[in-house]
Amino acid sequence: MSVLGKIIRTGRVAEPALPVPPVAGAAGAAGVRPAAPGPLAGSVQLRHIDAGSCNGCELEIGSAFGPVYDAERYGLRLVASPRHADALLVTGPVTRNMADPLRAVFDATPNPKRVVAVGDCAMNCGVFAGGHGVEGAVGDIVPVDVEIPGCPPTPEALIAALRGLTGR
Amino acid sequence: MNLISVGLAVVAAAALVGATAGALAQARTRPLVAGAATAVVGLGGVLAGVAALGGQTWSLTIANLLPLAETTFAVDALSGAFLVLIGAVAITAGIYSVGYTSPGGAHATDEDDAAPGHDEVVAHDGVDAHDDVPGPAKAAASRTAQAVLPLFAAAMLLVPAAASVSTLLVLWELMALTSLVLVLAEHRLRRSVRDAGLWYAGMTHAGLVAIMLGLVVLAAGAGGESFAAMRAGSAGLSPATASCVFLLVFLGFGSKAGMVPLHVWLPRAHPEAPSHVSALMSAAMVTLGVYGIIRVGFDLLGGGDGWWWLVVLAVGAVSALYGVLQASVAADLKRLLAYSTTENVGLMLIGIGAAGVFAAEGNRVLAGLLLAAAVLHAVNHAAFKALLFFGAGSVLRSTGLRDLDRLGGLVSRMPVTTALFAVGALGAAGLPAGNGFVSEWLLLQGLIHSVTGATAPSVVVALSMPLAVAVVALTAGLGVATFVKAFGVGFLARPRSVAATGATESPLSMRVGMGLAAAACTVLALAPAVAGAPLGRLLDVLPSVRGGAPLARSDVSLRLAGIAGSMSPLLIVVGLLVAALGAAALVRRVTRGAPRRATPVWGGGSTRLSPRMEYTATSFAEPLTRVFDDVLRPEKDIDVTPFAESEFLIASISYRQRVPDRVEARLYPPLLAAVGRWGQWSRGIANGSVHRYLAYGFIGLLVVLVVVGITS
Repeated sequence: MSVLGKIIRTGRVAEPALPVPPVAGAAGAAGVRPAAPGPLAGSVQLRHIDAGSCNGCELEIGSAFGPVYDAERYGLRLVASPRHADALLVTGPVTRNMADPLRAVFDATPNPKRVVAVGDCAMNCGVFAGGHGVEGAVGDIVPVDVEIPGCPPTPEALIAALRGLTGR
Repeated sequence: MNLISVGLAVVAAAALVGATAGALAQARTRPLVAGAATAVVGLGGVLAGVAALGGQTWSLTIANLLPLAETTFAVDALSGAFLVLIGAVAITAGIYSVGYTSPGGAHATDEDDAAPGHDEVVAHDGVDAHDDVPGPAKAAASRTAQAVLPLFAAAMLLVPAAASVSTLLVLWELMALTSLVLVLAEHRLRRSVRDAGLWYAGMTHAGLVAIMLGLVVLAAGAGGESFAAMRAGSAGLSPATASCVFLLVFLGFGSKAGMVPLHVWLPRAHPEAPSHVSALMSAAMVTLGVYGIIRVGFDLLGGGDGWWWLVVLAVGAVSALYGVLQASVAADLKRLLAYSTTENVGLMLIGIGAAGVFAAEGNRVLAGLLLAAAVLHAVNHAAFKALLFFGAGSVLRSTGLRDLDRLGGLVSRMPVTTALFAVGALGAAGLPAGNGFVSEWLLLQGLIHSVTGATAPSVVVALSMPLAVAVVALTAGLGVATFVKAFGVGFLARPRSVAATGATESPLSMRVGMGLAAAACTVLALAPAVAGAPLGRLLDVLPSVRGGAPLARSDVSLRLAGIAGSMSPLLIVVGLLVAALGAAALVRRVTRGAPRRATPVWGGGSTRLSPRMEYTATSFAEPLTRVFDDVLRPEKDIDVTPFAESEFLIASISYRQRVPDRVEARLYPPLLAAVGRWGQWSRGIANGSVHRYLAYGFIGLLVVLVVVGITS
């Protein structure tokens, strides 16, 4: 009963839902480059790949899918295999060890698919640029559709960009 | 001269000729001679059985064959059903044995020295502990084993034809001894065979003693040892005597049938015997225990009290559940099949027990239906279990392996065996399109309709039958898991050991034997209505269920008479096929023209997938082991060996799991210890002096004479 009591006492902690983001092309606010809703509109299953991140982005992704930001209400969902995924959420500069697995994950994801580069490192290797184990940015390995800047990007920025995929 | 006598004459003649020829033939021709003789013996049995099921009867009395008693045979429809069952198994086993005992093959090697009676799984991190070295298989083709094989088949066929206590006991003992010789065929190769032989001999003789005591008391009370005299005289027995007789006979026949807790010899003897012998024993011999219970309980004792049959029902329920639980966690293929035999005997006993309860209440319709379901299940079980043991034998012959954890990948190496094993597994799983489904459906119909009838059920029925339904349902569900495991892990995916990689398809005669058994399964699965009329005739033999013809005549569907219920296995299969083809066509249509892309199997980012990553039988059964932890009590050992440099660097991890037979572990050690003490004590009396033994004989005779003088 204590669980039920806790639920009742705590109530709803989620932030109020924001309005539907503007459609692709028209926006670009705060440096976010959103994608057109395209074929995935409505519901997007995301597979997250850590290609060499410092785990800062992972914390923010975890937060975005937690009870406060609750990204699932916008039609986003994290899944456990690229076979189940519509889009890949790639973080970090791509290290040498992760370059081939990243290509394999991209191959294993069914079409149509989108690749989201999360954070400065994924966009341009960030502070790790030129590092000895770094193969390159995500865009050097697989084609990137959406980029989310920030070190790390805030949950709001993440959700705003990903809502561009779902169109909700 | 009727067909039954012709059939049984063929049985006797072929057995004698076959045994002689098997003993005299050269090693090269011996498999062919013994196999052909066994098949002819079986053919004779089927001939006699079909004639008996068609309505003929036959009896024969030979005066001076046995000392002090007449040898009496009589065949009615009940005998006929079991003659057909055993004969058919003997035909397939005879054909199969030709290939199985021929030179070549990797079975009967020294490999499996695991502790007998336990499933042992060893997963080493690193090199596979023992790669199998194929060796020649001569043991199952030895002169003794080959000469005894037709004799064993004939002894089994003559048991249901016996019509007096002495005839039955002599044939029963002949059957036990010949099967014991066959179980011990490979005794030089593995120590566990000797162990299995000892257990089997002990259990079968304890059973014989119980049967003998029961039938002797019955014969004394009824005033004659022929079945006809006992049938006539059993009504005069006091209820206590009759109950005593029934319980003794139930125990004795039950030990042969493999009911819990007398099942302990099954998981030992079935895996260790040559596979065609396993099939004969598991599919045919075990059902003779069921025959004995029906014959004595329903026929000779005329039905008896309701509580007898509640005992049978309870024992059947426990056997079904315990058997299927052990089978679902077994990793040794033949051990799995042996436990599945206990499960199926349990289902038969549930049917027989419920039939007895209703017969005692006077409800002939339900009693007839349930008894028919039990007999039909015996026939179905014989068909699929023979096929499954043949399949396991083919795998064993080709790879030398019975351990499911090390098999796999046989579907591309042994396609025929795999397909035929699948037919058997479908039947054993009790799913539609398999033959086990038909009899389990009948059983469930009988049990369910017991509480929905027009009249209010008695308290006993209202309490016991829903429980029995639950037991049958749980058994069926676990049975599906068991055979998905046996087939999926054993035959599909990639091979898990070097021996399984080198598997090759079996010789022609083995495939023919398996094919015949699979054909029998298919006929029983698609057209069970053919069994309706013979089953009705069978029930007319038994006084307490007579007249309750359970199955109405119909062409494609199985319609129950007296209660509402019908089912057509043929239409179900047609429906399944149409649905499957329709779904395939729909998928093709929807995806036509869509772009296709071939990508490698997704391995979680890893590029090297090895057979070590597959499901094994143990890992597949792990959730079940966990759920039924309280019943099974698996023993687990995990040994972690670190490197010498640091305890945090792991060199190897060894995981061991054993699922011991708890019933055996709790029940038998005290019993065996008591028998051992008794043996020690009797050693003092029997010191080897002939004079002393003569004195014992003299005193014994005097005591008997005095007792007889006083009492009569």
